[in-house]
Amino acid sequence: MRALVIDDSRAMRRIVAGLLEDLGFATTQAGDGRAALDALDRDGVYDLACIDWNMPVMDGLSFVHAVRERREWRGMTLMMVTTESEHDQIVRALAAGAHEYLIKPFTPDAVRAKLDLLGLLPREETS
Amino acid sequence: MSTTTPDDVLLVAQDLFAAMVDGEPGTLERWPGPPADLADPVNAWVDAGGAQGVRTVLATDRTTAVALARSLLALGPDEPVEAADIRDVLGELVNVVSGNLKGMTPGTGLLGLPVVVLGPPAVDGALLRESHLRWRGSRLVISTWNLGTRGTTR
Repeated sequence: MRALVIDDSRAMRRIVAGLLEDLGFATTQAGDGRAALDALDRDGVYDLACIDWNMPVMDGLSFVHAVRERREWRGMTLMMVTTESEHDQIVRALAAGAHEYLIKPFTPDAVRAKLDLLGLLPREETS
Repeated sequence: MSTTTPDDVLLVAQDLFAAMVDGEPGTLERWPGPPADLADPVNAWVDAGGAQGVRTVLATDRTTAVALARSLLALGPDEPVEAADIRDVLGELVNVVSGNLKGMTPGTGLLGLPVVVLGPPAVDGALLRESHLRWRGSRLVISTWNLGTRGTTR
């Protein structure tokens, strides 16, 4: 499975990508929503996108809206991974088309649990 | 965020360091002695909007900032730590602290992007809270400031 990790922090991209790679994902990283859209145009749809909210150039919510406008990207699972933890923000992201919401800071177990909920864990990792 | 307490700040920071910096709990605690000025300070902050802007500032000394960058970027002992690495890591740490504190006070508005300065902070507001913490023997200071009605402008 392939995952696109979108965050303006290199440290956070490294952490998220490392956790996903430990779970068997091949990962690609992007520093903002615009770069992530470029990756989708270049590479085709990914199985999963992990999306920070606050980023320069294009924020995560705008990225979610842009993805949902493209029919060929509808099969991609979108998970916000962000510090925006207010209920209203979570509702906005889910209403825009995000499937799940993970609040920083998170543990490896929390990531695994969210992916399990989404049916994205390899069979041997499924609880 | 004016309703958050020093205990809230400590708990948020402990969760952050346990989950993302050290991979284990117990490395971050209250600073045991009286506060003193940071030598060669590095300051990172994030503003939250809303009716009244609130700035969350994470301050530490340059040596500790380098150690944090080395840890979160998994840099080897011989690999250089650039200023961009410090900005990346300190910015993300204060982003997570600020976001979690903001989550305790609904209606604070969206977060801005982190700003990191290798030097003294540029805060023009009223100090709300200041927490002095110890991480592996080094001092971290997390403070929140009321920026009044200026929102996220500096």
